[in-house]
Amino acid sequence: MSARWRRNPLGWIGIGLLTMILAMAVGANWLAPYDPARLTGKPFEPPSPAHWLGTNDIGQDILSELIFGARVSLLIGVLSALIAIGIGTTVGLLAGFYRGALDALLMRLVDVMLIIPVFPLMVLLAAYLGQSLWNLVVVIGILGWARPARIIRSQVLSLTERDYVLAARAIGARNARIVWRHVLPGVLSLALAQFVLAASSAILTEAGLSFLGLGDPTQKSWGSMLYYAQARNAFLSGAWLWWVLPPGLMIAASVLGFALSGFALEDSLNPHLRAR
Amino acid sequence: MLRFLASKFTQYALVLFIGITINFALPRAMPGDPIVLLAGEEAMRLSREQRLALLAEYDLDQPLLVQYVRYWQKLAQGDLGYSYVKRRPIAEMIAERLPWTLLLTGASLVLATLIGVALGALAAWKRGGRRDLGLLGLLIFLDSLPSFWVGMMLIALFAVRVPLFPAFGAVTPWAKLMGWDYVVDVARHLVLPLATLTIVSVPNIFLTTRYAMLSVLGQDFITVARAKGVKEQWVLFRHALRNALLPVATVFTLGLGFAFGGATVIETVFSYPGIGRLIFEAMSGRDYPVVQAAFLMITITVIAANILADLLYPLLDPRVRREGSAL
Repeated sequence: MSARWRRNPLGWIGIGLLTMILAMAVGANWLAPYDPARLTGKPFEPPSPAHWLGTNDIGQDILSELIFGARVSLLIGVLSALIAIGIGTTVGLLAGFYRGALDALLMRLVDVMLIIPVFPLMVLLAAYLGQSLWNLVVVIGILGWARPARIIRSQVLSLTERDYVLAARAIGARNARIVWRHVLPGVLSLALAQFVLAASSAILTEAGLSFLGLGDPTQKSWGSMLYYAQARNAFLSGAWLWWVLPPGLMIAASVLGFALSGFALEDSLNPHLRAR
Repeated sequence: MLRFLASKFTQYALVLFIGITINFALPRAMPGDPIVLLAGEEAMRLSREQRLALLAEYDLDQPLLVQYVRYWQKLAQGDLGYSYVKRRPIAEMIAERLPWTLLLTGASLVLATLIGVALGALAAWKRGGRRDLGLLGLLIFLDSLPSFWVGMMLIALFAVRVPLFPAFGAVTPWAKLMGWDYVVDVARHLVLPLATLTIVSVPNIFLTTRYAMLSVLGQDFITVARAKGVKEQWVLFRHALRNALLPVATVFTLGLGFAFGGATVIETVFSYPGIGRLIFEAMSGRDYPVVQAAFLMITITVIAANILADLLYPLLDPRVRREGSAL
């Protein structure tokens, strides 16, 4: 696995992008020129030496918003992906290990989740729950587990056919022990790859929800920045260049960072995807 | 074929059932007064009699099970409720908006599929070649862009800096255009939203087609066809693509929900008067019943589109056509 990983340039680009954004999030206090919540200029200022990316509609520094936005976007992306993969792995393990009626039931549910228009459903839930960071995490997390569950289930199905699992059964190990000791370790690396991919799509989803005004007004993510830019028609003036372009590129960079790392991980784990 | 359709239809019935049940449960399970959630904030200022009348209107004075049955009965009669914010029946508001969403999403699905399949086949032709890697890189990049941001950038570039297309709405307001002029006007307004939705939908189709083509191209019958001296284009499009389209069809149906979700955000950017824009407006006005009805309508539309795709699927896959086959 590691040799393949090292040879994959896309994976390294992904890691590079993620490192950059993580550094931004961790070092936001030192990197940002201002407190993004404070009014440090006049509204709608164009870029100047004092405000490299100008100011927003109420006079906050856009560059500082952008840097602190990394925290909010990353936090929501990673936490909701954790929830999604937690549920997905549990469902995949239960369905793949116990099979039968439970499997049929859970996979039916997965099918439903894959057909139902999830984004409008998230909008509906978030609208009812109200604007908060944690609500977004929960909403994105509990609706994003279907695809990982299906992938992990098929891995579990093949693992339970392996000799060492049969051997554990033969010596009378309890189900819980077999799952915990023999099956779970076999799906962990797959779950990790799925987690990275889920974080990638969660960041994109969060941006969409925040853009519709469902984000936390006190903790602005890149999506919320674009919500305000849209509400003030920033893209109709020159402000699109410093107010609209940068947050979009940051979203793309983090989505891409997770996606490329995830592809590389998946590729190094799955021999079917390898070049012949 | 029949078994295939029967199992699909059970699945759709389940989706519909769950969608409607979520809609029923949400305003009743949320903390706070359900009447405020259903009838808007004005409900707090109603007199006692008016309040009771409103409770009766939503059957909120009945046991939960009765409420649930009555809810289904109303839906079956096409009654989606009443918007107290807009003072109109919600079904009427949806009927006004739905055609625009269908136009935008339908056009984009067709366009994105054509472009995605063509590019995917081209990329897979010479795996690892310059064209393959270039396309792969470009489409993975496009896949990472937020749809609404693509829309905002297109407006900034092609409606403001170079004013080629209108940035807002679906028709020119108050122009009262007729006949051909109206069609042209609608088409011009459609260009930017359609381009946005297509740009964000192509990558998925592209990646699936490319991957499916690569696995088909490695199979023996392709080698045989090539060995027989069949022309390369013929091998690619007639032998390989024909088989690679099966997984693409699956992704296409899975992409339906995505397309309608994408439309929600994109319509907001372009003030395009579809269901998505309706959701946004209703959310800003805290008009929850409208958001719910819109979600339900999108669910029903996605199911309808899925059924359509299922009926067309046998055209692609002759194995499904055979009665009683393993599918």
